[in-house]
Amino acid sequence: MRRPQPGVAADVVIVGSGASGAVAAAHLAAAGFEVVCLEQGDWTGPADYMSDRPEAELAWIEKWSPDPNTRRGPADYPLTGEADVRPVMYNGVGGGLVQWAAMWQPLLASDFKARTLDGVADDWPINWSDLAEPYAQVAREMSVSGLGDDPALPELEPYPNPPIPIGRIGMAAARGMDRLGWHWWPGSNAIASRSHRSLQACQRRGTCMMGCPENAKATPSLTHWPSALAAGARLVTGARVAQIPIDERGRARGAVYLDRDGVEHLQPAQVVILAANAVGTARLLLLSASPRFPDGLANSSGLVGRRLMQHPYRTVTAVCEDFLDSWQGPWGQSIYSLEFAETHPDRDFVRGTKWMVMPHGGPMFAAAEYQEAHRHEGFDAVWGPAFHRAGAEVFGHAFTWGIQAEDLPEDANRVVLDPAVRDSSGLPAARIEYRVSDNTRRMLDFNVARAVEAAEAAGAASTMVRDIWPTGIGHVLGTTRMGDDPRCSVVDRWCRAHDVANLYIIDGGVFVTGGSANPTATIMANALRVVDHMIQSRASQEVPS
Amino acid sequence: MSGTWPTQTQRLTLAQLADILVAEGLGMPAASAVGVADGLLDRCLDAAPALAEPLKALLDEAQHSEPDAFVRQLAEHRPDDFTVLSTAVVGAYFLSAQVRRLIGYPGQQPSPLSVAGEPDYLDMLERVYERHPGHQEYP
Repeated sequence: MRRPQPGVAADVVIVGSGASGAVAAAHLAAAGFEVVCLEQGDWTGPADYMSDRPEAELAWIEKWSPDPNTRRGPADYPLTGEADVRPVMYNGVGGGLVQWAAMWQPLLASDFKARTLDGVADDWPINWSDLAEPYAQVAREMSVSGLGDDPALPELEPYPNPPIPIGRIGMAAARGMDRLGWHWWPGSNAIASRSHRSLQACQRRGTCMMGCPENAKATPSLTHWPSALAAGARLVTGARVAQIPIDERGRARGAVYLDRDGVEHLQPAQVVILAANAVGTARLLLLSASPRFPDGLANSSGLVGRRLMQHPYRTVTAVCEDFLDSWQGPWGQSIYSLEFAETHPDRDFVRGTKWMVMPHGGPMFAAAEYQEAHRHEGFDAVWGPAFHRAGAEVFGHAFTWGIQAEDLPEDANRVVLDPAVRDSSGLPAARIEYRVSDNTRRMLDFNVARAVEAAEAAGAASTMVRDIWPTGIGHVLGTTRMGDDPRCSVVDRWCRAHDVANLYIIDGGVFVTGGSANPTATIMANALRVVDHMIQSRASQEVPS
Repeated sequence: MSGTWPTQTQRLTLAQLADILVAEGLGMPAASAVGVADGLLDRCLDAAPALAEPLKALLDEAQHSEPDAFVRQLAEHRPDDFTVLSTAVVGAYFLSAQVRRLIGYPGQQPSPLSVAGEPDYLDMLERVYERHPGHQEYP
């Protein structure tokens, strides 16, 4: 085991310790690479979780808010700008997988061919089959529970754990889909249905997004960092990367970071991997502008930061007379549907959506949902004595269809550096410019109408419909897209920057299109595909002088 | 935040405002009856400390207003302030053990799951298989 020393050149420096960075660190370290990972946040563990406290729902609105502008943790950087959907993220060891709902969903085969099939966006330079083996490998590493053989998906290797019981909410929703003849399938989640590898069996507590005190939800601090550290990787927390410096030949020299005291350090490395999510990586590349790269590093295409995609999201909550036990977890996906995931010639939009059934959480969340749905009826419809209708009608009796839409890549949706606002280290904040397209709005309108039908078919006495959520669902994609043509992509098919031969990007920024699936499975599988290739081709890797 | 907060006056004001938001009804107690303005408020603010400062300002402002009119004008014209007030009240209300008991909510308790045996949805899943055309391969 070779553990890199501070200040001494590593084989690889990785920026970001989340889904993709953790995969890279674990596999590269296991292959004998000297790996340093720089993480601006800190470790988050059971001592920090609020999940097993009565105050859990209150924690969600502040300390455990997924919105960094609300949470304002020491590692968070501001997100500014006027956006229809504002990204959310977690900055710390494990990244977004500290707070994710652990829904595990491979892309569709058609997602890689949007240009060929639908005449929109671009085809990916890779196919579904290129990710088949990595999908299976990372599913094992993440202890995924689920049922294979979904006819809507290409053939998958069986998941390592049986599916989590779909519960009363899933059965109610499935009966509705059955009556309508629509596709549904038991949910696949990176939540262990039984003790598996580093995870314990799920206890259905239902607070997955505030940390799982039972260690049943897969997160890199459990699934990847222990093996990475054991293999010699060094993880530096409180390290906010400010710049990727280059040498006279245009090769990346490593990463310049500021520690918690604001002291600047250079971590030299032969290879630099960016895994800081599609907002953070784009921001860092723009921060790394230099005389040689005046528009930002790796940005000769002008696409760094552009084509941000976020899966705009709406919900339909079915309120049923039957008791559905609907605060019970897990808060992954009980069941999902790909009925409307593909383009259909009779619809006035292209591409599609993924639906998933979730519980409604505790009474505070249920009341908020009720108030949101009935607010237009006036104050007295939701407050005063009427406040208790939420508890009587909704709480324990509802399930929610979440509908996430594929938003197509558009140049105007982008991440730029804020000219005025700075983070706690004095670095420019990320400014988000993002509008939901007409195609996406038509798609969501259509799907919400179908989801109301599905809820009614499930026996719902009423439904509660929410408009597009103004804060995102943690899916940030597309700002450093991959492609074969350097004129219109940032990285090549192996996720190496066209402009910088020893710079790789492996987060969701490399997605060419977003599909409608929750992206983590694909982010991790692609990261594994890329690092496997790096390991195989290490002898030919160009390095700095 | 300087001084003792919340003061008894501020708690009293909150109790009045809280009962307009969460009044007695449908067999459930009003907010003040379960102590929303007392110990539950303290627990609420401990879990969500950013509420404290804007809530204090609202309570000081409300002392000079008729409670019902104050709450309604917040709801209509000052949505951010209304969110602060309603979040504190609702958050504190559902921390009450009495309220939880009345709505049958044990909290987000662990409940072991079992994956033994066949799930009872297999017949429905068979029908998904039968009617689905299957995914398409794209080379």
